[in-house]
Amino acid sequence: MTARLIIGALFMVGLWALVAKRNLVKKVFGLTILNSAAVLLFIVEAGGSGDGAPIMGGGQRIVDPIPQALMLTAIVIGVCVTALALGMAYRLYKATGSMDIEEIRKRLGNG
Amino acid sequence: MTEAMLLAILLLSLYAVESKDLLYGTIALSGVSLLSSLLFYILKAPDVAITEAAVGAGVSTVVYVWAIKSMERNEPL
Amino acid sequence: MKARTPSAQVLTAVLCIAAASFALWPLATLDEAWPEGIRDYLESRGQDESGARNLVSAIYLGYRGYDTLGETIVLLVAVSGAIGMIGAAGSKLAPGYADAAQGQVPVAKPTRRVHRRTELIDVVTGKLGPVVLVFGLYVMLFGHVSPGGGFQGGVVVASGIVFLGMGSKGAGLSPLVGAGTLARIEAAGFLALLLAAGLGIVSGAGFFAPPLRGVSPVGYIVALNAVIGLKVGAGIGFLCIAMLGETER
Repeated sequence: MTARLIIGALFMVGLWALVAKRNLVKKVFGLTILNSAAVLLFIVEAGGSGDGAPIMGGGQRIVDPIPQALMLTAIVIGVCVTALALGMAYRLYKATGSMDIEEIRKRLGNG
Repeated sequence: MTEAMLLAILLLSLYAVESKDLLYGTIALSGVSLLSSLLFYILKAPDVAITEAAVGAGVSTVVYVWAIKSMERNEPL
Repeated sequence: MKARTPSAQVLTAVLCIAAASFALWPLATLDEAWPEGIRDYLESRGQDESGARNLVSAIYLGYRGYDTLGETIVLLVAVSGAIGMIGAAGSKLAPGYADAAQGQVPVAKPTRRVHRRTELIDVVTGKLGPVVLVFGLYVMLFGHVSPGGGFQGGVVVASGIVFLGMGSKGAGLSPLVGAGTLARIEAAGFLALLLAAGLGIVSGAGFFAPPLRGVSPVGYIVALNAVIGLKVGAGIGFLCIAMLGETER
């Protein structure tokens, strides 16, 4: 319960960065934090379901391997999404000369 | 133990979001990755721990440092 | 659309956070026990059915192969999208990388190198790179019996490639981190993955199934791990080297 609440708070920190921060790189920080909050939730929840790592031959009851397999791919995808988002941010910066989202909106003529 | 490490992760990510210097924020995010991979190892997920350590310490930091160097380092607020 | 005032922005954000907290609250107070049925099934049958002692490998290469295929496609698209977009916005990447991402033959251009770093980084990363590469290959190839596998080994290999790229700046790039090589490894890895997945259709076992019946499927798992590892390592390494080249000069 406590662990879940802390992970929930971590998720909200990521959401806060995504919604309230005006700097584009800060928004990407928010995406990274959201990703790690989701990964942490899955692994922490699955961690209580056994005594040993999911490798056969140890003689212990293993933890559930399915969340681990899913989160493995989620981490690799997460870093690619980060790179793509920073690429977009760079493109916007080159086009408008600013990293502030309000400023970018103004300079693109929608302000 | 788990809760203490999660709390440290929470504080580090708060610092990353609120710091004025984006480079400090990047370093704090690698700290988040490091603590997460330790936590994954403790929670019997060695595969995820290897991935998180390599991604968080190496790849993600390189990508962020590239972005900060080619844009602006400080948040002008 | 009107420009928003800072206080209105903060109010919007606070409302967003409150709504998300309200929506996620049941998740925190959920009192269900962890479902044990699938875990018990995997514990008793997983190794025989997939051939891997590491059940995480067994899942993402055996039971959920489609996931892995889709994941590698996402990786390919994200890397080529990021490089292409950065290259289009004003090429500040390592020489040749923007061209290689768009399928053109990279032209070797002599560039002026400015050294702003100590010898220490050159020497340490250059010597450490091959060691990290070997460790990554070990993690990749022994993923079926120990912690590791294609994705894990792939990202370690990518770190090794980053080390090589940082270390070989002074003495010219090593051929592995040249612009065309990594892109070709990435493309060849994807083709090999499709081929390995399709072999099962030829022999009648089905898409993403071990093609030979009657023998242990361990070899198939090792082959898939190697292909995925090379693909992930080359893709992420390509991205990092391209970005690194710009920051260092």
